[in-house]
Amino acid sequence: MTNKKILVVEDEVVLNKALQDFLGSEGFEVLVAFDGEDGVKKASKENPDLILLDIILPKKDGYQVIKEIKSKEKTKDIPIVLLTNLGSIDDVQKALELGATTYLVKADYKMEEVTVKIKEILGIN
Amino acid sequence: MNKILDSFNLKKQADQLGVSVWRSPGFLFILLGVVIIAAMLAVYFVSRNSDSVEYLLGSEFALVIVLLVVGNSIINGINEIARANKIKTEFISIASHQLKTPLSEINWELELLSGKFADGLNEKQKELLKNVNVSNCKMIRLVNDLLDVARIDQGKLPLVSEEIDLIEMIKEVIENNKNLASSRNVKIKTRSYVQVPKIVGDRKRLLVVLDNLISNSIKYNSKKGRVDVAITPEKERVIICVKDNGVGIPKNQRKNIFSKFFRSDNVIKNQTEGTGLGLYIAKNIVLQSGGDMWFDSEEGEGSTFCFSLPLEENERYGLSD
Repeated sequence: MTNKKILVVEDEVVLNKALQDFLGSEGFEVLVAFDGEDGVKKASKENPDLILLDIILPKKDGYQVIKEIKSKEKTKDIPIVLLTNLGSIDDVQKALELGATTYLVKADYKMEEVTVKIKEILGIN
Repeated sequence: MNKILDSFNLKKQADQLGVSVWRSPGFLFILLGVVIIAAMLAVYFVSRNSDSVEYLLGSEFALVIVLLVVGNSIINGINEIARANKIKTEFISIASHQLKTPLSEINWELELLSGKFADGLNEKQKELLKNVNVSNCKMIRLVNDLLDVARIDQGKLPLVSEEIDLIEMIKEVIENNKNLASSRNVKIKTRSYVQVPKIVGDRKRLLVVLDNLISNSIKYNSKKGRVDVAITPEKERVIICVKDNGVGIPKNQRKNIFSKFFRSDNVIKNQTEGTGLGLYIAKNIVLQSGGDMWFDSEEGEGSTFCFSLPLEENERYGLSD
């Protein structure tokens, strides 16, 4: 067990559930949100070690979520990894400028690779 | 000068817009010019051969009407082409995004099923899952290619700038193509100068370029063929060439090699799979990186595809030491 907490903010139920299953079996504690508003709420309530964040989300989009998380003292240091399928550097660039740590293109990555990236950021071997 | 000449290359313009030559904007403007000259000549003759003011005014009036009608129909024609083109690229872009979500879902569900939840599956079932995964990856690649084409056509292919070690990158691509090469009994050799300066470019995109050239040179090679990869630094650029001794490209098809969706007859004969997007994307990535791509081919002897990338000023060969 790594006892690290990861918040997955993703509105596509199948993708969210898949990440929950995969990361859960890798020993992470997984919290989920299906829209941006809930994502921001859970981030400040649960104080996760890392946030996986989709860009296109209901209620509040990914950019707004980053802005709010980065503006709060309590949550501003939580690393945010973008999960996107836009694959357009323009949009990703905007999110990185707002303070996201890095991004992953969902269709191009296996969850295994997503996990490697997470561990790298959290400094777990 | 070339740019001016290029705007008169009606065939190219029409091809790019996907319309026939007589509907290309260049042709329509030439038509407009001809109509103006003809109408003015007509007015000139009328004014010379008649002293009547009514005649003169009437012909001037007719000229204005003709110009307005012709000009308007030309502008409408061009607008229509532009709109159709925009809808086409937007369609590809939206369709690709919508396709990518379910493809990602299949991708990840398959990973769970054949990995963490594979307990109780027999060998045959695992093999079937693997095949499904290969098909899904193919589909993702195709959608990615279509998205790239849409971005290129909209002039929105984003490239990042990072330092790249070319030799290491080529090694990586050859390693990734090892299975393909050994299945076709093709030997790959790399030839390079001891010192190849570092370049700046988009690593992920340039990997796509190299992978395209190297995998093509394996796929379209003869059995027991050879592939030579040569890296030659020049004063202001570095040139990478991939040479094969495969089927080659028929003479009459060479000018279309870098067109999108184009596949040469020899290619289709040897390999039914493929979209004809690879070289189009590759060339556009290189052009946008400040380089160029070209090739040389002899039917039955083989082809050599080369591309260049500019060197940073302080990395130019001979100055870096």
